[in-house]
Amino acid sequence: MPMASDAGMSPELATFLNFLVIGLSNGMIIALIAIGYTMVYGIIELINFAHGDLCTLGAFLALTLIGALGLGDWSGPWAWAAVTLLLVGAAGFCAALNWGIDRAAYRPLRSAPKLTLLVTAIGISFVLVNLALFWGGLPMEVFGGGNQASAPKNFPELVPTTNLLGSESRVSITPRDLLVAAVTLPLMVALTWLVRFTRLGTSMRAVAQNPTAASLMGIDVDRVIGASFMIGGALGGFGIVVYAIYNGSISFQMGYRTGMDAFTAAVLGGIGSLPGAVLGGLLIGLLRAMSDGYLEARWTPSVVFIVLILVLIFRPSGLLGARVREKV
Amino acid sequence: MKRSVSMLVVGAAALSAAACEKSPDAATGSPSKVLKLVSSLPRTGSANAQTTTMVNGIRMAIDEVGGKIDDWTIVYEDMDDASPQRGNWDPAVETQNAQKSAADRTVVGYIGTFNSGASKISMPILNSAGLPMVSPANTWPGLTKPGLGEANEPMSYRPTGSINYFRVVPTDDMQGKAAAEWARELGVSSVYILHDRELYGKGIADFFKRECEGLGIKVHGFEGIDPKASNYKSLVVKMQALSPDLVYFGGTTQNNAGQIAKDMRAAGMQAKFMVPDGCFEKAFIEAAGADNVNGNTYVTFGGLPAKELTGKGAAFREAYVKQYQQEPEAYAVYGYEAARVMIDAMKRAATKDRAGILKALAATKDFDGALGRWSFDENGDTTNRIMSGNMVKDGEFVFVKKLGG
Amino acid sequence: MKSPRRVRWVEWALLAAALAIPPINWFWMRMDPAGAHDFVGPLRQVLIYAVLALGLNIVTGFTGLLHLGMAAFMAVGAYAYGILTCEIYPFQLSFWPALGASALIGTVAGLLLGAPTMALRGDYLAIVTLGFGEIVQDVLKNLDDITQGTQGINPLPGPVVPGYAFNSQNAMPWYYLYLGILVLVVVGCRNLEWSRPGRAWLAIRVDELAARCMGIPVVRQKMLAFAAGAALAAIAGAMMASMLTSTGEPANYDFQVSILALCIVIVGGMGSITGVLVGAVAMIGFANVLLPMLAGQLQARGLVSQANVFGNPNNWKYLIFGLVLVLMMRFRPQGLLPRAGAARAAGKSP
Repeated sequence: MPMASDAGMSPELATFLNFLVIGLSNGMIIALIAIGYTMVYGIIELINFAHGDLCTLGAFLALTLIGALGLGDWSGPWAWAAVTLLLVGAAGFCAALNWGIDRAAYRPLRSAPKLTLLVTAIGISFVLVNLALFWGGLPMEVFGGGNQASAPKNFPELVPTTNLLGSESRVSITPRDLLVAAVTLPLMVALTWLVRFTRLGTSMRAVAQNPTAASLMGIDVDRVIGASFMIGGALGGFGIVVYAIYNGSISFQMGYRTGMDAFTAAVLGGIGSLPGAVLGGLLIGLLRAMSDGYLEARWTPSVVFIVLILVLIFRPSGLLGARVREKV
Repeated sequence: MKRSVSMLVVGAAALSAAACEKSPDAATGSPSKVLKLVSSLPRTGSANAQTTTMVNGIRMAIDEVGGKIDDWTIVYEDMDDASPQRGNWDPAVETQNAQKSAADRTVVGYIGTFNSGASKISMPILNSAGLPMVSPANTWPGLTKPGLGEANEPMSYRPTGSINYFRVVPTDDMQGKAAAEWARELGVSSVYILHDRELYGKGIADFFKRECEGLGIKVHGFEGIDPKASNYKSLVVKMQALSPDLVYFGGTTQNNAGQIAKDMRAAGMQAKFMVPDGCFEKAFIEAAGADNVNGNTYVTFGGLPAKELTGKGAAFREAYVKQYQQEPEAYAVYGYEAARVMIDAMKRAATKDRAGILKALAATKDFDGALGRWSFDENGDTTNRIMSGNMVKDGEFVFVKKLGG
Repeated sequence: MKSPRRVRWVEWALLAAALAIPPINWFWMRMDPAGAHDFVGPLRQVLIYAVLALGLNIVTGFTGLLHLGMAAFMAVGAYAYGILTCEIYPFQLSFWPALGASALIGTVAGLLLGAPTMALRGDYLAIVTLGFGEIVQDVLKNLDDITQGTQGINPLPGPVVPGYAFNSQNAMPWYYLYLGILVLVVVGCRNLEWSRPGRAWLAIRVDELAARCMGIPVVRQKMLAFAAGAALAAIAGAMMASMLTSTGEPANYDFQVSILALCIVIVGGMGSITGVLVGAVAMIGFANVLLPMLAGQLQARGLVSQANVFGNPNNWKYLIFGLVLVLMMRFRPQGLLPRAGAARAAGKSP
């Protein structure tokens, strides 16, 4: 690999750059999941509590696929094929599941008060966590034979952790970091294009603005909302597979912290705003990395929330959020 | 016991009806020949694999005597002190278990708890009731030993002033010490200590730190982690910059020990990794991924692994494998031993009630158990001091040497 | 304004049942010591959660502010009670003064959080309260020089009543005392509901803009609701700590507890005091009393094995819980016993 040119770099700078890489990678993963929150919120003003746990199921599906198809043994270019297969599989699964949940649980409640919807989401989240627990108890090799359903599960190393800058380099960028970027960035571009320039995107924005007016314009509101759930779910599926590969393990409770980070990111950036979710995700990833690195790891969750509260005090609608319009 | 399905109906009427119908049963007095043994262990959630083997051990000990002592029948109840909300022991549930056992006069022995924090809550309740208690797994020293925990420990757990609590495992202070000494033997001159901020994990990390400082091992850092974090990559970068010889994690599998090992190896960190017995279970290797822990991960355990046991212990292992078709987890033998010492006390007791059994239990001397020949000391601790150092090789725990002793 | 007759009837029935259960249970236990179950001990949790949920009801039910961090104030109350009473600290107050002080400290904590954040609306406030819940847990864990970290502060004294010493072996006196506290809290909430602030809260809940135009000091009234809710949560925390004779770990007051409180309020009927009581009986009764008992019974009969994740009924709890919530919201979104006139306000709730 080319550069061993960091020989002259001070250790402090190298450490900082490492934190930066780690923070950005984590941040991009958070951003992918945060989009699921922000899209749903933008359209039906629901904090979708179940989103993190939906993603968890995506991760369990990925691990099941690995176990069933023996993907862990695929190597070389085949490993990348395996990764692609997992990404597509989990994204499709999460999209379908999220659409199904909307269809079965949220859609009948379109005209109900917001809290009703919120409690439904909490209920769904409980169900999904429980399903993930049971899923981890399946008697499969990849789940440790199912003997300990609740323990964290090892996710096989499909993508290596060799340093692309050479093993001598003090700064480390690995194929896993590249994977994160390679999945996240194109998805962001595609999503932006979809929302800005397609018919579906226009419909989505119209529904977000005013569902009644949108339906009067001939937009099938339920279909558009369903599509938002699908897209949010798919991005969550991509995100969680990248998460699993990047971190190398999954657990049935991962949805809580991942969802919390992602939701915080969405709020920080201004909930309802897509660029806001991405910005928020990156900021939270960086904040966590820096706090772990320069402060103490035990204060990291607090640091994240304190920053969030401070941001909201001074910018009550988040960094990129529009001023909340009163819905009367 | 036959009719109590009715209790599922939470109606006052149903309750009183059931009570009336059952009264003849009680009158015959048959329950008076029952010695009830209960265990209170977290059966829901993360510790389930360990507690399952413990309960298997307890059942084996009871079956060994045919479930009978003379014409007394031993009845066993396996209580869960965890709640699904927590996925872990729950103080409210442990309180209920202790109160329920204290109130039921047929209960003469309480095996538990798994988590030291749970015992802190149930000990005073059971002490007031004079109910003998043997823990197969508590390692917090303050439960029995004065001067190592809070100022009011252990007397605050003994409202009656006498001892009713015993344990068959060595405490964290000893394991922390043994771990530090082992680290020095391994040629470690600097460490970075992490812990999960729980009673067990932080406790043992504290003792490890104290011993390291005493032995002249440099402690580069001592830091609590967020056990729910998705990864510890930045923490690893921070540790890497200090290049310690060994990273110690005081904590459990459930609190992400595996993830730390994974992130260390992913970042190419060469340091050794040492964990206490909270990670001495197959789930740890599974969670970390065998490749990440093979040959570089050291696990201390407050006893000998099942395969190293001799005499009664070896016989136990053999019987266990035969009955359950798998190797017992490390803690199984402690469940077995706790039940055996309790049954032994029941046999020796002059009167088969709590007071008699408690007296016999406290007098346990040179007990010929699966863990060797041992006694309870004046605090209620086992005199057994043998611990073991283990490594991970080829995805399995491999016994390396005896520690302490 | 008076509550409709139906609700009053339910309330008296609940009270009568609550009063009657301990003697019946006692009788049953005497008749059949081996087979009987102690309901009284576990039922104290229902009383504690009812106090907590009534606190949340003020914030979310009366005022319409979504609050996801109620457990934090419960933790504040529990730890305040612990520090004020435990023998290893210099204060060593007894139950009643410590309970009062906990409520006061809870109130202060509520105001501290409320002051900077009351300008936030709806879901932004929700996430701030959620974040606050996480921060409080971390602070309690990390400041272990003061809070003993995850050790828990113990032992803590039980209540004191002239002429009777509470001991943890006999749950019945605690039960009646806690029931008494709950009755006082219910009476207090009832009075608050139609007091000047109570009416202001209703106005804010129905239409904040209109309330502001009417000259209601919206921010101050919201803070008041917040503080009152926090005080009740702190009392619940102190009750819990006293019952357990320990503060337990900070993790005992986590997000799940906040969510449980929210579910009680919504399942019971937002803003309806009687509803919240019914909700507490249904939810906590199911989760903390009935399910463990069922698990114990099945296990005692050897019908299930704890070794397998599917075999333990406790592992099904979330699934059942979740489905009940979903179905409930689908078919009875107003809750089991909705607040009188809720229908009028529901359409406009934020």
